[in-house]
Amino acid sequence: MTRAPKSAAGVARPGFAWAAPAAVFFLLFAMAPLVLVAVLSFANWDGITEPHFNGLDNWVALIHDPVMSQSVWTTLLLTALGVLTQTPVSLLLGVWAAGHQRNRAVLSAVYFVPLLLSATAVSVVWRAVLDPNFGVPAQLTWLFGDGNLLGSRSGALAVLTFVGVWQFTPLHALIYQGGARAIPQVLYQAAAVDGAGTVRQFIHITLPQLRNTVITSMVLMVVGGLTTFDTVLILTQGGPGTDTTVSAFYMYQKGFKSYDFGAASAIALVLVVVATLVSLAVVKFSGYDRMRGTAEGL
Amino acid sequence: MGSRFAAIAAASALVLGMTAACGSGGASSDAGSGTIHVMVYGDATNKVEKQIAETFNKTSKVKVVLDTVPGADYQQKLQTVINTPHAPDVFFNWGGGSIKPFVKAGLLLPLDGFIAKDPGLKSNFLPSVFNSAVVDGKPYGVPMRGTQPVLLFHNKKVLADAGLTPPRTWDELVAATRALKAKGITPIALGGGDQWPTLMWFEYLYDRIGGPGLLQRAVGGDREAWASEDSRKALAAVKDLADSGAFGRSFDSVKFTDGGSPALVAKGRAAFELMGSWYYSTQQDANPDFAESGLGYTGFPTLNGGKGDPADVVGNTNNFYSVLKKTKHPEAAAAFLKLMYSEEFVKAQLAVGNLPTTVHTVDFLDTAASPAYSKYQYELVKAAPSFQLSWDQAYPQSASTPMRTAIQQYVDGKIDADAFIKAMQALPTS
Repeated sequence: MTRAPKSAAGVARPGFAWAAPAAVFFLLFAMAPLVLVAVLSFANWDGITEPHFNGLDNWVALIHDPVMSQSVWTTLLLTALGVLTQTPVSLLLGVWAAGHQRNRAVLSAVYFVPLLLSATAVSVVWRAVLDPNFGVPAQLTWLFGDGNLLGSRSGALAVLTFVGVWQFTPLHALIYQGGARAIPQVLYQAAAVDGAGTVRQFIHITLPQLRNTVITSMVLMVVGGLTTFDTVLILTQGGPGTDTTVSAFYMYQKGFKSYDFGAASAIALVLVVVATLVSLAVVKFSGYDRMRGTAEGL
Repeated sequence: MGSRFAAIAAASALVLGMTAACGSGGASSDAGSGTIHVMVYGDATNKVEKQIAETFNKTSKVKVVLDTVPGADYQQKLQTVINTPHAPDVFFNWGGGSIKPFVKAGLLLPLDGFIAKDPGLKSNFLPSVFNSAVVDGKPYGVPMRGTQPVLLFHNKKVLADAGLTPPRTWDELVAATRALKAKGITPIALGGGDQWPTLMWFEYLYDRIGGPGLLQRAVGGDREAWASEDSRKALAAVKDLADSGAFGRSFDSVKFTDGGSPALVAKGRAAFELMGSWYYSTQQDANPDFAESGLGYTGFPTLNGGKGDPADVVGNTNNFYSVLKKTKHPEAAAAFLKLMYSEEFVKAQLAVGNLPTTVHTVDFLDTAASPAYSKYQYELVKAAPSFQLSWDQAYPQSASTPMRTAIQQYVDGKIDADAFIKAMQALPTS
């Protein structure tokens, strides 16, 4: 936005008028609420009486609130687990779906079904499937023990991560499929002539060519992970205790359960800052901001 | 260009999307044209409210408009709308802590004016129920649905097979849980995933051990009540029960709301469940045969040496209609509230399985959906020296989340009695 690109001469830069509709929407629905939330974070408001400013009270309380710091770590942990589990599965699935195997179209269609379901429905279904008395754990006691999956921190985090993989892999597989389809076939043909097998082709051609796709998908996963809410609301309600209380859910609890909109606004701002920092870090360290093409020399 | 900015924008937009999703327009209250808006919790009972509104509209010039709000969102909607021009004239609530913030904000009309004109608005209701909508000595609500005491339900066949009878004392209950556990049956079904079912065990044990005064002192702001010896005794009793495996080991993964814990009892995999009186209709929906012949119920056992009266009950006393101060038609609102003790109202509520709390309900109990069950409940509530409103309704709404969290953590052994007492003392009380 600030640095003028030194683009090739002769290509006219589109005027700012083109950005006006998007900019107006952005100002109205993103920037204005952000400013209001920032103001509200210095106030005490229950939604019925007049808000009155209480200085730094919300922030001081937030800093001393062990649940808040725990929720930030839980959020980051769940995000990291999400990226680590979803990336390999969706990468392999997407690359496979980009090929020309028999039954590929039918199987791909089946794999993409979870993408069409609402997160609420997905959570309700998995709750029933994982019921300790009448669900799968009751049949597979050798694997699940007493089936108390949502009764411990590690168990509940594992369930949330697993449901995340199930739910979001199709979206990312779709992105990878598109990316893999765009890789020029000539590269594979050359590699085949040189005697490279499927595995070597994957490691030395597909992966490097998909670099930008990986980053795109990861940014989406990170942003999605940091704002995880619906699955937590339905599967664990932040429990047991506060073990899976992610920041977005904690914000909801403060705002719409305890009617403490000042504290909720402060949490929202923390989320904005954390999400921004993480996104910037991903962009910085991945070289996404330079966005070099992967098709040089072709 | 701008990819960094775009990333920031995307991240902030997603976060904001969630915070900005509050504030919604309400039903318009066109007071000038002679209507009063009545906002109610949306569920199956609405057909009674519709019928009563129609009855009222037949004779009244000022018409009642019923606004039903889906149950899960009711409280949030009410909170958002109540201090705006879109606020209803009359609204459904749970009494106690659920209306206290509105009273403090000066939004509600004290009903003593109505009662002075028509004493029946007070005298026709059971006092223990009517009193739970009294705030700072003034009445703010008229009971408008059924009472929901918490009862100890059991599977008759499971108890009979184990050679047990429904326990009358705490010691008998503890002995029964041991015997059932030895037989490989989960003694007590508990939907710990919902958190509030666990709270019911605390509510009854605190009442039986410390008497109803303990919680009243605590809600009134006396933080020492939580640290009292009786409080510690009750906590120890809860903990002993949980640690003995009476609730099984996987109760945190079980919910009442998705049918998990009622299914355990209906299928004979568990023997007891402590739950509000709506449990009967829950079982009737999911397992009609079991509700018909296999489902037994008793009051909560007595406890030797406890201060609470064995006849005390806890639960939701009833739901209430409260009136907003700024309503343009207070006379119409008063006339509408009078219908809440009419014969038509009582009969209609009984027919859908609710137990209204008027003094003459008893005359119509034979018309109830399940007369024996309704009679049992009615006698229980009528004879109760104290009807303790559920803790999460007695405290202000803002206390609900930290209270439930502490309850779950204590039963799970993540915090000890001292930490639990501290958490309770930190709850907001006004």
